[in-house]
Amino acid sequence: MSMSNTPVVNFTWNGFICHSPGFVAHPGMPLGLGITAALLMLALSFIILRSKAVGSPGVGLVIGRHLAKALAQWPWIQVVLRVLTVAIFILVIAAGLFGTALPERNLATTLTWTLWWTLLIIAVFFTGSGWCAVCPWDALATWLLRWRWWRRGSDLSSLNLRVPVWLRNVWPALFMFIGLTWLELGVGVTTSPYATAVLALVMVVLTLASHAVFERKAFCRYFCSVGRTIGVYSTVSPLAMRPIDAEVCARCKTLECYHGIVEVEPCPTHLVMGRINQNLYCTSCTACMQSCPYTNVAWQWRDARVEAAVTARPHWDEAWFILGLLTLTLFHGITMLPPWESWIRGLGAWMGDKGQLLWSFSIGMAVSMSVPVLLFSLCMLVIWRMMLRGHDFRRVFATLSFSLIPVAFAYHIAHNLTHLLREARGFMTVAANPFGVNTLPFTETERHQRYLHPLLAQDAIFYLQAVVVISGVGAALWIWRQRLLSLTGGVMVPRFQGGMLVGAVFLLSLGSFSLWLLMQPMIMRM
Amino acid sequence: MSRLSSLFVTVLLSTLCNPVSAHHVLGRPAYSLSEDSNTPPSMQVETQIGKYSVTIVAFPAFPKPNEPGRVNLYATRIDSGALFNGQVTFRVRDDRLFADAPELLGMQTIDDGVYRQGFVFSQRGDYIVSAEFTAEGEPYLIDFPLRIGDPAPVTLIGGVITLMGLILVLVNVTQRRRMQRMRAQRHHTPDSDEHE
Repeated sequence: MSMSNTPVVNFTWNGFICHSPGFVAHPGMPLGLGITAALLMLALSFIILRSKAVGSPGVGLVIGRHLAKALAQWPWIQVVLRVLTVAIFILVIAAGLFGTALPERNLATTLTWTLWWTLLIIAVFFTGSGWCAVCPWDALATWLLRWRWWRRGSDLSSLNLRVPVWLRNVWPALFMFIGLTWLELGVGVTTSPYATAVLALVMVVLTLASHAVFERKAFCRYFCSVGRTIGVYSTVSPLAMRPIDAEVCARCKTLECYHGIVEVEPCPTHLVMGRINQNLYCTSCTACMQSCPYTNVAWQWRDARVEAAVTARPHWDEAWFILGLLTLTLFHGITMLPPWESWIRGLGAWMGDKGQLLWSFSIGMAVSMSVPVLLFSLCMLVIWRMMLRGHDFRRVFATLSFSLIPVAFAYHIAHNLTHLLREARGFMTVAANPFGVNTLPFTETERHQRYLHPLLAQDAIFYLQAVVVISGVGAALWIWRQRLLSLTGGVMVPRFQGGMLVGAVFLLSLGSFSLWLLMQPMIMRM
Repeated sequence: MSRLSSLFVTVLLSTLCNPVSAHHVLGRPAYSLSEDSNTPPSMQVETQIGKYSVTIVAFPAFPKPNEPGRVNLYATRIDSGALFNGQVTFRVRDDRLFADAPELLGMQTIDDGVYRQGFVFSQRGDYIVSAEFTAEGEPYLIDFPLRIGDPAPVTLIGGVITLMGLILVLVNVTQRRRMQRMRAQRHHTPDSDEHE
């Protein structure tokens, strides 16, 4: 099937394509609810400021022992799930390359951007890094290299080179994430099925190249921006893969989880189960479950704040990834504000920028991203000068950056709820005709039907968003407090309350800005 | 693994095959239709934008390089059905990353209720045609994509598959050589020890 078979004329409404007073925007949260949520955040901050509680690693509830055992005994369960995601992935690529150019009628764009990307972020809270276990990029690349469904690959399947020291960090993932956002919002990949398919193929090639050259799964650990986003957010997920009995791991000398066994791969991201203290690099691949001779690995249901507040170790590159995640998440919201387009057009007219206005967009993106970075850096400088002069500035910066995770995550979830609950209606129609054969652009009636009938009652969406943002800011304040205490050695130094106040002002400002963004009308993506 | 390889070959073959396109409407090839035909052309979009209902029709349905074509634009007020009577500017740009600035196709006034803009594209590709007009002080800009000639996704798929194949072969050959070298070194070491 070729595209020329279909009676298609594309009419794209978003981005720089259609500049008209006729766009459709989702309504924002009501003013009253927004103000109430902001006041509740303020009240919560007072409670946390006055709190005397000290965070501890705590003990989570072990869950899913039977499932872990089943996955260890029958790796085919995971293989079947991977085959399923790969099959859907191939269908998405085929639909993008050969299907209709109408984004709202093509499976590539609707499944990738309206359903998968929005649902993925929400799912991270409940499933941690579960997606990585069935990731089609990794599955395809691994199968092609090893010619095996799940067993350990032969020595011929990869050059197994060590990743150069200068690349052993998450900077590559951060730059890739910035690039992907630029492609998504600036170039408009989300509204082009063809570009979506090309992007998917590029990711497979990158994964394959990395797996072929470097040892284990360097792409998953250092380069994959989706994986690192999941990793950072799963830091505040209540679900984590952990030892059932820490003592068993402490006594273990053979470390099968790290080295692997004859048939099972070693941990693809170089983790030792007995020493794991953060979710960031865990890809939930279940290799540790399969290789552990004591069947001592399962999931843990825990206090979602503990890892970011207590156990995770701060690193400079990871702190910048967290900051990047926050800025890019907020930037998504900014670009969907109705005036954004006229701002960029105004800038373009002033600069003499023409065509897709990519220079103007890039400047707008750089400015939008710089503001939170500068404000956070300023806060860090104030705190460092005020109370932590004896400490390394980078350590203070990295330690307190953990508190940004819940704020970014909460806004991301709240923003995605709008996409998912307001734009996913009618997905089954697209799934039934994934290539969009003989389809026409959305009619005004369809657009209004979608506008009027979200998957959840409108008020329920607003309340959910408010609860999510309040919880995020509350968790952020608590994490800030614990991390500040850890920097002062658990001692309430004289200026501790000053440090708390700086944190409260900054985090409340971020929370209020998130609420303000949610209160604005948001342009419908497709 | 043989199933995986069969699946891989099937996907490869299916993506490399470019099916025959036959555009028949009521027994006649669609690409021979013109605006004078009694059969409606297939390239048409109707939309409401601001206070106007706009219809854009492109002829022929599937334009080819170096073949003359035309875009017709009809704009009527939603509330009264009155025709928009002014000037419409048509521009075109490549529908690709880092596209050049749009080129002016022409500025048209109304002719029998229609704004007609002719075009001839010399190269195959995807283009965005923009129609701009100003009504009651408010600017209107409508973009729609136009594909000239057939798309060539096979090139992309072929390129990706070739690239992936190349990576796999290179890795395999390099690893085989490395292992042979290591085996040879291992073989060689006891001999040299004996000489010593």
